[in-house]
Amino acid sequence: MPEPNSHFPIITARQLHKSFGDVQVLQGIDLDIYGGEVLALLGENGAGKSTLVKLLAGFETLTAGQLELRDLDGSSHSLAADWTIEQAEKRGVVLIHQELNLAEQLNVADNIFLGNELKRGLLLDQKRMLQKSREYLQALNCEVDPSTLVAELAVSAKQLVEIAKAYAKQSRVLILDEPTAVLTNRESEALFILIEQLKQQGVAIVYISHKLDEIERIADRIVVLRDGEMIGTYPASTLSKDDMARLMVGRELSQLFPEIPRPPDSAEVVLELQDACVPGTIRHAEFQLRKGEVLGFSGLVGSGRTALMEAIVGLRRFSEATRLTVKGRQNRYPTLAAARDDGIGYLTKDRKGCGLLLNMSLPFNFSLLALDRFSRGLIDVQKEQAQFEAAVKTFDIRHKDDSLTAGKLSGGNQQKLLLAKIMAAEPDIIIIDEPTRGIDIGTRTEIYRFIAELAGNGHAIILVSSDMLEVIGLSHRVAVMCRGELTGILEGEAIEEHEIMRYATGLKSDLDKQKEPLCA
Amino acid sequence: MPEKYFAAIDLKTAGPFLALIALIVIGMLVNEAFLSTGNLSNILARSSFIGIVAIGATFVITAGGIDLSVGAMAAFISGCMILIMNSLMESIESSVTIILLAILASIGIGALAGLLNGLLTTKAKIEAFIVTLGTMGIYRSLITYMADGGTLSLNFTIGDIYSEVYYGTLLGLPYPVWVFLLVAVVGYILLNKTVFGRHCFAIGSNEQVALYSAIHVDRVKTMTYMLQGVCVSIATIIYVPRLGSASGQTGILWELEAIAAVIIGGTVLKGGYGRIWGTVVGALILTLIGNILNLTDAISNYLNGAVQGIIVIVAVYLQRGAWRKKKH
Amino acid sequence: MKILQRLVPVITGCLLLGVTANAVAQTIGVSIPAATHGWAGGMNFHAEETKKRLEAAYPELSIVLLTANSASEQANDLEDLVAIHNIDALVVLPFESAPLTGPVRNVKRQGVFITVVDRGLSEPGIQDVYVAGNNVEMGRVSAQYMKQRLSGGGDIVVLRGIPTVIDEQRFGAFMAELEGSNINVLDNQYANWNRDDGFTVMQDFLARFSKIDGVWAQDDDIAIGVIQAVRQARRQDELFIVGGGGMKDIVRRVMDGDRLTPVDVLYPPSMIATAMELTALKFISNAPLNGEYILGSPLITPENAAQYYFPDSPF
Repeated sequence: MPEPNSHFPIITARQLHKSFGDVQVLQGIDLDIYGGEVLALLGENGAGKSTLVKLLAGFETLTAGQLELRDLDGSSHSLAADWTIEQAEKRGVVLIHQELNLAEQLNVADNIFLGNELKRGLLLDQKRMLQKSREYLQALNCEVDPSTLVAELAVSAKQLVEIAKAYAKQSRVLILDEPTAVLTNRESEALFILIEQLKQQGVAIVYISHKLDEIERIADRIVVLRDGEMIGTYPASTLSKDDMARLMVGRELSQLFPEIPRPPDSAEVVLELQDACVPGTIRHAEFQLRKGEVLGFSGLVGSGRTALMEAIVGLRRFSEATRLTVKGRQNRYPTLAAARDDGIGYLTKDRKGCGLLLNMSLPFNFSLLALDRFSRGLIDVQKEQAQFEAAVKTFDIRHKDDSLTAGKLSGGNQQKLLLAKIMAAEPDIIIIDEPTRGIDIGTRTEIYRFIAELAGNGHAIILVSSDMLEVIGLSHRVAVMCRGELTGILEGEAIEEHEIMRYATGLKSDLDKQKEPLCA
Repeated sequence: MPEKYFAAIDLKTAGPFLALIALIVIGMLVNEAFLSTGNLSNILARSSFIGIVAIGATFVITAGGIDLSVGAMAAFISGCMILIMNSLMESIESSVTIILLAILASIGIGALAGLLNGLLTTKAKIEAFIVTLGTMGIYRSLITYMADGGTLSLNFTIGDIYSEVYYGTLLGLPYPVWVFLLVAVVGYILLNKTVFGRHCFAIGSNEQVALYSAIHVDRVKTMTYMLQGVCVSIATIIYVPRLGSASGQTGILWELEAIAAVIIGGTVLKGGYGRIWGTVVGALILTLIGNILNLTDAISNYLNGAVQGIIVIVAVYLQRGAWRKKKH
Repeated sequence: MKILQRLVPVITGCLLLGVTANAVAQTIGVSIPAATHGWAGGMNFHAEETKKRLEAAYPELSIVLLTANSASEQANDLEDLVAIHNIDALVVLPFESAPLTGPVRNVKRQGVFITVVDRGLSEPGIQDVYVAGNNVEMGRVSAQYMKQRLSGGGDIVVLRGIPTVIDEQRFGAFMAELEGSNINVLDNQYANWNRDDGFTVMQDFLARFSKIDGVWAQDDDIAIGVIQAVRQARRQDELFIVGGGGMKDIVRRVMDGDRLTPVDVLYPPSMIATAMELTALKFISNAPLNGEYILGSPLITPENAAQYYFPDSPF
């Protein structure tokens, strides 16, 4: 065990229990959190990680157990029922949510001092708050101007502002719930450096992530949770990624990524894009997609991958010069319905905002895209129900009963339902955008298996993902995008993390620089 | 049964029916004339105007829209029908032909008016509230202009024949009631059994998801407004023969009554969930309140509005209350 | 000073004879509410007609007619009449009494001759001439007819207008006049001066009361609805209806001797014409003119109906 900077833990938890009604969410959790270390919480979705950190930060009250916080002067406080968010923040325990909690219409400095505003007399001391904020942001190596409106910031910058806010309050325990889910690799790197700095200053970091390589890299100790129970606390140096996955899932994960046989070069080209341009977002893209192939799309956040895919399926407009050839016919789709009728399926990355109707039932969601297939004048409810039940089996959608609304499903099951919805239209070209974002490892492997099966029986697949391992592990070829341009398509040995990064960051490009870009 | 899709909220059904039954009991206690065949058939025939308009509104609201123009539109279409019939008198002999032509014109105008509302909201991207507030003003002043500020009256000869449409009966029930029933059945099938209806639910529930589900969002929304326009014209077709006249006063506040009927019936005002039978019950409740108040002098005339307001709120409370119980 | 209802023809007669005095150009401003309902529509019609007639007969007179949709719009109109049109006299039918008292007073201060119609200002001494209908008399005349028609006693129902002062005056006078008679008012309900409400309220009265001898509908729009409801119930032989206002359709029925609507009670929208003519007279004849002209509410009977029948009016 690495030696913590302090001999006494800041937070001590013994036998924590939490239940919602009859449902036991956490039982018998023991935890010591020391200053100057990164403690990683590991577990599948629903294992209880989020509930646990909410207890620590005062968002939830515990049902039973002991929770103690040691102040700087050495005195101990029992954190009982009066443990509230305000209490927690006052004593230096801050939770940074997956969904960020900033006032969008205030500027960065106002947000950093929200609730602790600096005043001169009755008035706010704007000048000093701006200056202080600039200092904090500089200390975090962050180039954001404190007078910027938060609404204008990128998600990654918002997260930095959240951290600066915690830093300004001289937090002793900083809890990060999946911070890198919304960050690009480069931004994640910056975050890790920041975490290291905070650690040096004696701050305790509690870190939740699904990305095992991140945890391997930054964690000092790892706490593994499964189904609300404590599996154990391990020094990070003693666990390999495979060990972590095994402990989380509770079974051996022989291989995360299934083998997908490479289609022969003679395989039919089902989709070809030439001289593609989407005014305002995509400057240049060209690629071919073959039957049975998985074509990965990598790139930093904002590189235009989603915009390109949405243009292909008719959700955005290509320029006039763009040539899209699908199954030998040149075509551009005016609507998503036209793309669907031509056998193209698009699985959006925004599961909750664009993918599923959260307040509607599962069968309603399942049939929505392909409703015409269930209708001859009137909807054939029996056929719909039968196909829904079949899809539940195929995609292993776990739910109590059909009348449940989609919003009540776990993230993983929502993703499987969304996949079932797309497949109900029986597409042969499937574009999948970020299929495993915020999804636990068990469901991930299932989704990888579906992708492998689909490719195996002749579907052509485009896989857009910011998870580098996923793209590398599943794709036959990897297209990389940078600032609206498709800068290269990698094959074979070239599919490797650093090479992808070079194309993604613009260090390398196969595009002819002499040529004028097709559009601005 | 499509109800199972909405099992989480189907206890809402009970609320409006409870309120309806309660009102019927009160009516019986207030005056024995309440249960007379004449009174009951009056209530049904009367609720058919608001009811038919409200069935159209159920589609618009379910798909996340709102239409404030229906009352003024009804007045405008009434005026057009009367002017058309009066002017055709000179060229066409058969009154029945004239009436049929006016009915066709009415449906055409209704559909066009709905199309206008729909295109302004979907293509011009103006909020439905503002668009229909605007067209409400336009239709309201057009009818006033057409009538010179007075009242347009249908020619007596035609009016006499046409009046059969309102006053005639089939199997003891007035024709308007049959029309109401027919519109309700068709509306129910359309909303609950067809792709179009599903798309209305989806759009009202989350327009973005609908777009990503290959739904022609603009087209479906525009169609709900056209459907609303056609419903208004159907209501007008049975309204005109009643008094044979139209004025700036015709259809005043119908939009609010229709919206109230829809909401009392359990449709969600912000969209995503709609019930045709609930709307029918909602329209009956609104008519019953007025009828019962006319049958008693126990309540001061000055307080009629207060009684109506209380009953509407209680009806909606019952409906939401049932929902809350289910939730916990 | 009170001149009775026969005044109108007299004045018109004077005008048409061409009592001329000075030929200096004069402008009369007329500000009235827009035609948003039947009676106001009739009033607008009479204002237009009178404007045409007066301007044709007296080239030196010019009349500016403005209609308003609200009290504040009318206040703006008044300012325009003074500032832009430079009027010598104003004929105003105020949207509402209180809010327009100030604006009219301002016009008066410019030395303009003021004629107020129908709704009085809240402050005395501003107007030179006041022309109005008589709501109290309207209610009383209606009740008198009821007493005369049902001399042996009977049961009647009352359909009222919109809860306002006008309605209260009419209804109060009606009930006061019936006091002591053996006429029994079964119930009264608001029908909002509107045909549809007249129809539904009457349907419910018919369902509720098995014997109704008479109906006081107070307003001709309401009466139209009542007639249809009575016909639907096939009870036209048992009762009669007394309306009010002088709508051409009802006057026509009275003229034709319809037994369902034997009479009507006048509350003439043509009062605006009277007011305009009186004001014009002031300039044409130089006659000293001031005081109140309260128009009566005579009973329209088959014998005199023809003189209240304006087939071209929208009301």
